Amino acid sequence: MTAFLIQNMAPIMFGALVVFLLLGYPVAFALAANGIFFGLIGIQLGLLDASLFQALPDRLWGVMSNDTLLAVPFFTFMGLILERSGMAEDLLDTVGQLFGPLRGGLAFAVIFVGALLAATTGVVAASVISMGLISLPIMLRYGYDRRFASGVIAASGTLAQIIPPSLVLIIMADQLGRSVGDMYAGAFIPGICLAGLYAVFALGVAIFKPAWSPALPLDARRLREPDGSSGTWSFVVLAVLATSAAILFDRFYYVPAYPEAMLDERLVLAAGAGAGFALACAIVNRAFKLGFLSRMAEQVVFVLIPPLALIFLVLGTIFLGWATPTEGGAMGASGALVMALARRRLSFKLTRQAMETTAKLSTFVVFILIGARVFSLTFYGVNGHVWVEHLLLNLPGGQLGFLIVVNILVFLLAFFLDFFELSFIVVPLLGPVAEKLGIDLIWFGVLLGVNMQTSFMHPPFGFALFYLRSVAPARDYIDKITGLRMAPVTTWQIYWGAIPFVLIQLVMVGLLIVFPQMSLVYKSGLPEIDPGKVKFEIPAEQPPDVPEDILKDLQKGTPAGKEKAAPEKGPSAEDKAAEEIEKALKGGK
Amino acid sequence: MAPLLRISALIDALNERVGKAVYWLVLMAVLVSAGNAIIRKVFNMSSNAFLEAQWYLFAAVFLLCSGFTLLRNEHVRIDVIVGRLSPRAQAAVDVFGTLFFLLPMAILFIYLSWPVFVRTYTHGEISTNAGGLMIWPARLLVPIGFTLLAAQGISELIKRIAFLAGKGPDPITRHDAHAAELELAEEIRRIAEAKG
Repeated sequence: MTAFLIQNMAPIMFGALVVFLLLGYPVAFALAANGIFFGLIGIQLGLLDASLFQALPDRLWGVMSNDTLLAVPFFTFMGLILERSGMAEDLLDTVGQLFGPLRGGLAFAVIFVGALLAATTGVVAASVISMGLISLPIMLRYGYDRRFASGVIAASGTLAQIIPPSLVLIIMADQLGRSVGDMYAGAFIPGICLAGLYAVFALGVAIFKPAWSPALPLDARRLREPDGSSGTWSFVVLAVLATSAAILFDRFYYVPAYPEAMLDERLVLAAGAGAGFALACAIVNRAFKLGFLSRMAEQVVFVLIPPLALIFLVLGTIFLGWATPTEGGAMGASGALVMALARRRLSFKLTRQAMETTAKLSTFVVFILIGARVFSLTFYGVNGHVWVEHLLLNLPGGQLGFLIVVNILVFLLAFFLDFFELSFIVVPLLGPVAEKLGIDLIWFGVLLGVNMQTSFMHPPFGFALFYLRSVAPARDYIDKITGLRMAPVTTWQIYWGAIPFVLIQLVMVGLLIVFPQMSLVYKSGLPEIDPGKVKFEIPAEQPPDVPEDILKDLQKGTPAGKEKAAPEKGPSAEDKAAEEIEKALKGGK
Repeated sequence: MAPLLRISALIDALNERVGKAVYWLVLMAVLVSAGNAIIRKVFNMSSNAFLEAQWYLFAAVFLLCSGFTLLRNEHVRIDVIVGRLSPRAQAAVDVFGTLFFLLPMAILFIYLSWPVFVRTYTHGEISTNAGGLMIWPARLLVPIGFTLLAAQGISELIKRIAFLAGKGPDPITRHDAHAAELELAEEIRRIAEAKG
């Protein structure tokens, strides 16, 4: 019996974890309890050193001093403030007017705004709720198919998960031990492609099922010229001019002035120049009532400026090397605060609510991580990672076989676990194996990110569906504009609507497996982001007065299993723990 | 039961207060971090104290709010199975989980982290970064945080047992997590209707 236990400690521990989690007690504590319980058994059996748990304070210290994790509260807070600022509503309203006259136009507007909001913040709830409240009623009013409308809204909201900056990417980078900047760069093209695939689907619907997505009727197009024309051409001309301004700025001013400038820096600044040009036109046009721009063009410019400014704060400052990804989150949050204040949408009550939600969300996230650290202390101690590696390395088909199996596994797990749980429990086990198989970890992380995005859309537990359900009409209602009695959106319609988008998601996973180049551009230096550019004034050499007690702790707390595992391990969680302790020694940097 | 329930109410009130005070640190951390980045860029000046302050603040948020989060029942669960059980069965799961999962973890962390705090305090250890902060306040957060968590665990335990004994209301409220989102949705809807 004892021999059997010793032989099979890792599989038994893993099986027990599944039972512990399914009990339905909070995940963080179930994880930690599993680690403690099996740690005690391991000590009894002589498998583990009696001082095993002495390593815990420093593991926790590593979590506390982890700068990357700070991005979680920052982006959450930013998303919540943004939700309260009314920016999304204005965008949806105006962009809906711009695209509305086309067949399927409102669906394109939702996808476009979804992608734009995704590039400002990393929170799903924000976009889904706004779109469900603003766009859905309009889509229903003009006869959109209920399944299609709700699917497009839920899916576009989840783009926030994959288009940088996103919490998934930040946590994935942290767990795989890669830089957040690289993860952003690797996710950029896949994120845009995914939004593109959604648009292709919407186009297909517009062509083959025209009744599902009709164009806005004339009387619903509010932003028209006095003579009744749409004013879209004026916008197109302005867009072309702004693009030219951006290119001219880059070619004839910036490059001659700073020949060493990196491409990413040039892109950010050129985009800034183009946007500045368009804004200047719009302001001049409005201030002097010149009328060289149509109302439509002017309005579109004004609503696009705030999100573009936020994207600059959050992503631009990273590309320019001014801020770390974490600080980008803080800048974005401050920017959102300023914007909400300027729009007089920020009440005391809403701010407090946002802080409370942020505090609770980041607490439960970090506690899952703490629980996972306690679990992994024991699990790696009993060579659990070696067991997992054996299981996965022996899969047929090498790299491809591994990727396919892992993606199917994650897809299925995503029905029950949300992405925090997946990233803290499952990803650290998969990362080292992927690396051993020669898989680029950025590519792998982005792949899992796209896959996990489905966890928001899976009926019946997907959060995006839940949020949409909570704001979509559940009973008959009277439409305010037409005065007609409207049927509700049923829960089943929301579920059915999500299915084509889950399938698109899987297509994207397949495409990304076949074309890793989409992610690997992060290496080629095309959008080159190097957080290393951001220099802190920290002495490179550590002074000799490293607190001895921490070193002592470190030695005492080394799990007994580590020596055995040492020859086989890649950059496993043990290494990460060591890194963390190193970080702790340096005082968090 | 009545005296126990009074203790439980006291603990609830304590964690409610702590949570509502501590969440302001979220805002502070945001401002410190953004301010730090701006000052570094504009004045070409950097301070390790501020870099460390931002994670001290965040550590304070998640450690001190752990009890508050438990009070609000917002530590995520996998409720595929438990969500379908009767309220009594759910309460029983919580009694079991608190006794065998939460309390052992919290007690272990208190037990292990206290000596570390005492050591850093008596040695007056300072971060090794130039101009870094004192270490002990951050070390002290750990035992305090887990004590608040353990206390809240005990309070939840009392409430569950009272419910199982038929002497209290059903303490588990589901989907609390989304209450704020729903409240906000109401707000957006109201504004949208006022406009159009």
